[in-house]
Amino acid sequence: MPTPEQLQKIYDLSDNVLYPEAVAFIRRLVDEEDRSPLPASQVTGLLNITHAASYSELEHFIRHQRERNWTEAKQDMKIFYSELEKLFSTMKNKRVKDEFQLVRHGLTSREAQQEIDELMIVLARDFIQHLITENGLLAVKKATERARRR
Amino acid sequence: MNKDMQIIREVNIQAEYFYADAIQLGNHAAYALRKNHRSQLTGLENLANSALKVADILDYVKRQTARFPYWREGFPPAENPTQSFGERLKDYLEIKLQERRDIICGPKMLNIDNKTEENRHLRRRIYLLLIRQFLRQMIIQYEFNVSFDGSRKEA
Repeated sequence: MPTPEQLQKIYDLSDNVLYPEAVAFIRRLVDEEDRSPLPASQVTGLLNITHAASYSELEHFIRHQRERNWTEAKQDMKIFYSELEKLFSTMKNKRVKDEFQLVRHGLTSREAQQEIDELMIVLARDFIQHLITENGLLAVKKATERARRR
Repeated sequence: MNKDMQIIREVNIQAEYFYADAIQLGNHAAYALRKNHRSQLTGLENLANSALKVADILDYVKRQTARFPYWREGFPPAENPTQSFGERLKDYLEIKLQERRDIICGPKMLNIDNKTEENRHLRRRIYLLLIRQFLRQMIIQYEFNVSFDGSRKEA
């Protein structure tokens, strides 16, 4: 569980880093690369696992989704999970410590690793929440455009 | 004057400047949500008053906009009549109020840069105070507007 000081830092990061990055992440996939927004079933699955699981379980879920044998029509899902996995991997292995400076000093490497996992689930929940709300808006926009073309 | 008092004073001064915009958005809210969706704004105000992050408030506005068609209603008297209530509100909170926050925190006023953790917390707090003030004004106007029967009033 992050300390109150770490939580304050995370709130600042949420507003200044995670929110804009999550919005840019899903807009790049849906708007710029013209991929499908996440369907409701994926949104529900991702939200459920994010709120109930530890970070290692979330990592496992994302890897599993990425490795699934998606049909040709659902290749966008594979790309989404691959990109999300890469983003969280960089966050966990580099940014949490070096850029965000969230890990406390003086911990053994095992303690530091445990702390990183505890911080990562909080950061990932936040990122996914922002991503999913933006995804909802993009889905409505796409549906409206489709209806207009008919 | 201590820092807290200075912050409250500057937020209140900025609130005078954005009052006219809050009235416009309150009228748009009344047009789009009408009397029967009052709870949408009560929910927003409650969330804003307890939120620790600006992003949570923006997420709420976006979620409701995606979920409910009435949040996506335009407003004929507005400068951009097709822009939905949700999008207009989100843009205002995200862009205009952030600019107001930057004015208050600028070197000529409170001089709170974003170089230290303490300052970043203060900037977030000021931004939240501005949003709460703006929403309070907007919702009062909404209440005033919908208190009249058949109130599809124009700005």
